[in-house]
Amino acid sequence: MTAIARMAVLNLRTVAPYRNQGLVLFGLIALIFAEKSPVALVPALVLLVIPQIAAYPFLVADKADLETLYAVLPLPRRSVLYGHYAWAMANFLATATAGTALALLIARAQAVPFSGRTLVTMLTLSWAIFAINVAIQLPLLIRFGYTRISILATTMPLALVILTVLQLHLHLTITPIQIWLPLLWVAGVAAIMTSAAVAITADQRRVH
Amino acid sequence: MSSDLAFALRGVGTTVGGNFALRDVSFELPTGYVMGLIGANGAGKTTTIRCLLGMRAFETGEIELLGHRVPGPVILRQDVGVVLDHTYLVGDWRLADAERALRPFYDRWDGVRYRQLLDEFGLDLRARVKDLSRGMAVKLMIAVALSHQARLLVFDEPTSGLDPATRDELAGIIGDFLLDEGHSVLFSTHITSDLDRIGDYLTLIHEGRIVRTGTKDEILEAYRVVRGGPDTLSEPAGAHLIGLRRTPTGTQALVRTEETGLLGGDVLVEAPTLEEIAVHIAARATRREPHPGTSGSPGRKPHPDTGRHASHPSMSAEETV
Repeated sequence: MTAIARMAVLNLRTVAPYRNQGLVLFGLIALIFAEKSPVALVPALVLLVIPQIAAYPFLVADKADLETLYAVLPLPRRSVLYGHYAWAMANFLATATAGTALALLIARAQAVPFSGRTLVTMLTLSWAIFAINVAIQLPLLIRFGYTRISILATTMPLALVILTVLQLHLHLTITPIQIWLPLLWVAGVAAIMTSAAVAITADQRRVH
Repeated sequence: MSSDLAFALRGVGTTVGGNFALRDVSFELPTGYVMGLIGANGAGKTTTIRCLLGMRAFETGEIELLGHRVPGPVILRQDVGVVLDHTYLVGDWRLADAERALRPFYDRWDGVRYRQLLDEFGLDLRARVKDLSRGMAVKLMIAVALSHQARLLVFDEPTSGLDPATRDELAGIIGDFLLDEGHSVLFSTHITSDLDRIGDYLTLIHEGRIVRTGTKDEILEAYRVVRGGPDTLSEPAGAHLIGLRRTPTGTQALVRTEETGLLGGDVLVEAPTLEEIAVHIAARATRREPHPGTSGSPGRKPHPDTGRHASHPSMSAEETV
C-alpha cells in the first residue's frame, strides 16, 4: 500500500466511529430524492453528503490533535495532503456507485426511463460538483483546520456548486450535451490537481 | 554524523512572531541514556522537542537525530516514539482500533507485543481512548511506541498531573526500555523528582536558552544552595546569587560551587536537589554572562554511574544569573 493510500485508510478509520451519522445523512437524502427524481439522486448525494464526509477527518483531527499524529507517523507530509484528496475521491466513487445502483433500482420500480446517456450525464454532473467542491474545500481545511473554517469550507463550495450547476443547465439546454461531458471530466481533474498544488502551499502557511 | 549519539542539537534557534523561542540551543545525548530536559512552563522544552522531531522548522543551527540530519528521511520516524501529556489518537477509537490504524505505518509493528503491553499496563483492548485516565493514556502511548520498536523515546511532560504511584510505574517502564543499550530517552518535565531516579544527563532550559547541560552528578556538583539570615546573604564580588529569595526569616540562593568560597562564613552551604536548582534558575533575573568552562569541545568520558564511555554532552553554553 502506498503512503497516500495508507493516509486515506487512516481517514477511513478516523471517521469509522461516526459512520452512523454519515449513513443517516445518506439515507435521508436518498429518501427525499427517490420520490422526486432518481436522476438527481447521485448529484444530490455528491452535493450534500461528500462535503461533510470529506471534511470529517479535519473535524476529528482538530479535536484529537491528529496533526501531531500525522507528524509523528513515518509519512511524508505530501502524502498526508494527497491522502485527504484520495479519501475524498474514494468517497466520490463509493457514493456514485451506491447512488447509481439505488437510482437505477428506483427508476425501475417507478418505471422511469433511465437511458445510458442519462446515466453518463448524471455521473458527469456529479463529478463536476465533486471536483469544484473538493478543489475549494480541501485547501481551506488544510490551511485553517476545521474549527476555523468549517462554515466557509462547506457552504461556499456548496453555493458555488449550485451556481455552476444552474449555469451549466442553461448552457446544456442550448448546446449539444456530448460536447460538454468530456470537457467536464477533464476540467474536474484539472481543478483537483490545481487544488492539490495550492494545498501544498497553503499547508506551509497553515495556522493551527 | 555520529552514530553513538541518540541526538544532538547544535546552535539551534527559532523565532515565534519575531521573538526568539529558542536561541543557540546546544546539547546532546549519547545512545543508551536518559536525558532530562528541565524547565519551567514556557521555557522552550516543547519547542525544542518539536524542532528535534522535525515537527517545527528552525532558523539556525543543526540537529542530528539517530545518525541523520533533521529534517531527515521519513523512515527515521520508525525509530522514534513520542509520548506527550495527552494522546493524539481519535478519542472514539477502541485500543484495538488504534492498533489497526497505526500498524500499516510501521515496518516493525509487533501486534503481540502491543497486546502484551496493554495487558501488562492493565489496559483493556475494548476501552475507548477518550475514557482513559491521564496515566493510562500515557501508558497507551508508551505501548504504541514500544510496539513499533522505537529506539528513542521522547516524552514531553508525560507526568504532569499523574499521581506518584503512576509516575513511579512510568520510571520502571523506562528502566525496562533502557535494558537494551541501543535505546535512549529524552524526558522533558518540570517535575524534577521524576529525574532523580532515571535521569543520566540533564539539560536546564530557561527562556529558550540552555542554562546548563551535563551528567546529573555534574549538574548537582556544579551548584550549592546557600542559606542565611535575613541580612546575612548579600552578593559578594565575583559571585552570583542565582534566584535569591528573601523572606522575613531568611534568605536562600543558588551559587556556583566554585564561588562558595567567596561567601561569608555565616551562611549555610548545602548540596542542592534538582528541584532547588530548577526553582532558583527559573526565578533568577535576566542578566546573562558566559559560564566559565563552557568553551572547548565536549570530551569523551566515562558515564558517572556505569563507567561506559560515551560522547559527553556539551556543558553549559551560557549561564544566566
